[in-house]
Amino acid sequence: MRAGRRVRRGHGRILPWLAVPALVFFAGFAVIPLVGVLALSFTTWDGIGAIRPSGLTSWRSVLTDPELVHALWVTFLVMVVSWAVQTPLSVLLGTFLAGHQRYRAVLAVVYFVPLLLSSAAIAIAYKALLDPNFGLGAGLNIAWLSQDWLGRPALAFGVVIFIVSWQFIPFHSLIYQAGVRQIPQSMYEAAQLDGAGRVRQFFSITLPQLKHTMITSSTLMVVGSLTFFDLIFVLTAGGPADATRVLALDMYKRGFQANLMGPASAIAVILVLVGLGLAVLLRRLGGRDAAVSQLEGA
Amino acid sequence: MSATLTRPPRATTADRGRSGGRVARQRNWLGGLAGWLWLAIVVLPLYWILITSLKAQSSYYTTNPLAPPSAPTLGNYRMVIDADFIRYFINSVVVTAGAVIPAVTVSFMAAYAIVRGWPGRFLRAVNGLFLMGLAIPLQATIIPIYLIIIRLHLYDSLLALILPSIAFAIPLTVLVLANFIRDVPKELFESMRIDGATEWGTLWRLTAPLTRPAILTVTVYNALTIWNGFLLPLVLTQSPDRRTLPLALWTFQGQYSVNVPAIVASVVLTTLPILVMYAVGRRQLLSGLTAGFSR
Amino acid sequence: MDTQISRRTVLKLAAGVPVAAALAACGSAGPGTSAGGGTKATYWYLNGQPQEGVRTGAVDRFNKANPNGQIAGTTFQNDAYKTKIKTAIGAGQAPTIIWGWGGGSLRSYVTAGQVDDLTSWFDQHPEVKSRLFPTSFGAGTINGKIYAMPCETVQPIVLYYNKKVLDQVGARPPQSWGDLMALVSTLNTKGIAPFSLGGQSRWTNMMWLEFLFDRIGGPEVFQAIFNGEKNSWSNPAAIDALTKVQDLVKANGFIKGFASITADSNADQALLYTGKAAMMLHGSWSYGIQQTDGGDFVPGGGLGYVNFPPVEGGKGDPSNTVGNPAQYLSISSKASAEQKTIAKQFFATGVLDSTEVTQWIGTGGVPIVQGTQSQLAGSKDAAFLQFVYDTATKAKSFGQSWDQALSPTAAETLLDNIANLFQLSISPQQFATNMNAVIGA
Repeated sequence: MRAGRRVRRGHGRILPWLAVPALVFFAGFAVIPLVGVLALSFTTWDGIGAIRPSGLTSWRSVLTDPELVHALWVTFLVMVVSWAVQTPLSVLLGTFLAGHQRYRAVLAVVYFVPLLLSSAAIAIAYKALLDPNFGLGAGLNIAWLSQDWLGRPALAFGVVIFIVSWQFIPFHSLIYQAGVRQIPQSMYEAAQLDGAGRVRQFFSITLPQLKHTMITSSTLMVVGSLTFFDLIFVLTAGGPADATRVLALDMYKRGFQANLMGPASAIAVILVLVGLGLAVLLRRLGGRDAAVSQLEGA
Repeated sequence: MSATLTRPPRATTADRGRSGGRVARQRNWLGGLAGWLWLAIVVLPLYWILITSLKAQSSYYTTNPLAPPSAPTLGNYRMVIDADFIRYFINSVVVTAGAVIPAVTVSFMAAYAIVRGWPGRFLRAVNGLFLMGLAIPLQATIIPIYLIIIRLHLYDSLLALILPSIAFAIPLTVLVLANFIRDVPKELFESMRIDGATEWGTLWRLTAPLTRPAILTVTVYNALTIWNGFLLPLVLTQSPDRRTLPLALWTFQGQYSVNVPAIVASVVLTTLPILVMYAVGRRQLLSGLTAGFSR
Repeated sequence: MDTQISRRTVLKLAAGVPVAAALAACGSAGPGTSAGGGTKATYWYLNGQPQEGVRTGAVDRFNKANPNGQIAGTTFQNDAYKTKIKTAIGAGQAPTIIWGWGGGSLRSYVTAGQVDDLTSWFDQHPEVKSRLFPTSFGAGTINGKIYAMPCETVQPIVLYYNKKVLDQVGARPPQSWGDLMALVSTLNTKGIAPFSLGGQSRWTNMMWLEFLFDRIGGPEVFQAIFNGEKNSWSNPAAIDALTKVQDLVKANGFIKGFASITADSNADQALLYTGKAAMMLHGSWSYGIQQTDGGDFVPGGGLGYVNFPPVEGGKGDPSNTVGNPAQYLSISSKASAEQKTIAKQFFATGVLDSTEVTQWIGTGGVPIVQGTQSQLAGSKDAAFLQFVYDTATKAKSFGQSWDQALSPTAAETLLDNIANLFQLSISPQQFATNMNAVIGA
């Protein structure tokens, strides 16, 4: 299929150079910092004075800190719960949007708006909305609505999940919509001839056919959830009582507020390892990624 | 040309809605209900934001939060603009344009090289590097980036925001663009080469127009991500006149959080440019995104 | 070809925009330099009226009197400032004049060699030193040398109350801890929040512990911690204080939602002057804020204030107080010689001049300048000012705010644990264990 191999000589020489600018940018501001964060984790630095190499001190203080376990747990919970909430809803919504009725296209326009707002803006808006004394609940005098949403750990966690879903379900439902639209009608017709009802068709045809889409969407969701910072920082600053202190936030607080750059870098390394591990795991789970397999087959 | 990029039309689930029958109507009802419910969930906060921004602070506490303002006022917007938001807007524009254009350009070049130069060893390595880069969160590298920016004497400048943004936009952009370039038929490249075109020429005269939907998509996607970026400005800038919109929003909110109408007015103002872009380029964003991701 | 032209244009744009951006962005990447007209010293300080106005006023007056050596000021919010100043110092882009609270943060700057030693300068300018409260120099002195100039006001922590609300329930401000707990249950039955609290800021919670530690065990308790004595957090008086605070939380002593209210926005103070809460423990600077934001509340005599009540059976002297003995200005060691000269000129002539003193008094603050009693007595806020002056000067011990006294690392751990304590998710013993681990950090 790839016939270019024949005439490689003389014509392909410029090609590697075309990739160099991107490589330079990426190496300079992504790869080098990555190496840098590993190096920094073996130092002690308060962000103000000099950087002093200190071997395993920072690692030791991080790995023996129960806070780290807590941050890992919170991050894991956020990841799993947000996935569990977003995926079914995105699948349903995507299937709904796949229908070609006119009004569904109009709805899709509105659905997408939350994705356009910055996480900071959304957090600020919800903070005002949910204020127990000055927000929506207080104004409407609905006791249930004017709870201490951001002041009670379990509620604050729930609010974070809700807002994340509010923001990102549109995106994932769009992916699922495209996925559903690609399922051949013939399969449904055959199933209908066999007497399968709508629900049965959904579970036996739609869902299995969406497997690859689900892997893509889940990978994005899961790896993306590791990077939640803006939203939580603005909404709860990790509180209340560390209920929403995910790994990224823990790293920032340790480094920039507690002046512990060494341990913060160690946590950053952990963050990267977890992200890489998850990406690899998910790819393994779903068979080869389409992009990879395409390249492999070249 | 564009026909090669879209799938041949097939009878898909999309057409199911038209097939009649009692069962079909039943399913639409349930789906419809869910759809409208989600619409309410999406719209309610947006509606609240909009009407609150038009209320005066004094009347906000005494009136029903969900009722439209009896005497709508633009005073909140004026207050936000007086708080220097035009400058923050310009900063955001400079950072976004200054990052997206180079990012898409170099990524396009790299994607082309990767597809056309496959399976060269160097290009395979570069591709692998970018794929791994997809899983690296920006947050994890913020401390060394802070150090690098300081050493380069770029602290508290907009360039400090631009450079890392370019770097982190590259992996995904290369991935999506490479996918699209792979769809361009080999014959077209062959005919260009027979005509004596160089790779550089082929890159810009053939590939760019063919992959325009994808280029537009990644441009819009990256622009959105960078426009809404918060961590980089938070750490790498300090002067108020270097702030970008999300950071300005947060600072404004911290100071005036008791003045709810002003806060939501600032949210609306900062989102307005994106909404405009969305209205203009929606189709590209939506169609391109799904094609890029659902491969 | 059509496409060819458009692509060239795109490429031109692609090249042009980042270059333009870079030019615009790199323009003034250095600190304190101004485009033309000599270098300016830079000065960062907190925003928030009415205090911001006084500080800006001082800068403006200085600039007018010194056309050849000016100061460019930038304002920041309280909590954001605490992080921002550190990043700036770490980036070598600190302002010439660094505003702060002295104590542990100042110590970290000194250890990193980031601020200048001012001892000899003060020796050369004894008139500057002798004007000020002698006690104000304590938190600005590290290892026996003066690294910061005290300025602004003395800020003890005060127990404020809404007179109208307390009258409504027929109560008087608490005279003892038992009184306080009883008042809490009375107010709750009447549906009024007893205490307002900006819990998300955490240092607001800390003020409660500062007082309880002192009232129960005397200033020695925290002094031991500050001195780095092992396991000093497990002192029985400390555990008692921690337990009492949790009792208060369990008794619904704090307004609903306190854990998500920030102090920066003055939302906690709004709850007091709007009558949603009956009382509030806050710094003396809150008087000025309530005066500015609360409409007729303060001028109309609606605000009451007392010192924190004693705890029955406690060792601490009821006259003791805690808070900020002063605010402090340091000079960045990385500033240019010119900038440092401007800064020192500001210290000598621009800090706490008579206008500034009057303005601070107008905001309900007691400047750390000696001999202002008559001015205080003549002001419209004479009662409050006299109260603050007496509290500050008659206190047998004036403890510095813990998060400023301790190092930033220990302070951050402290604030985290305090948040957990108030959330009732850790026990007093756990708190003590966690804090014992960072003693001397």
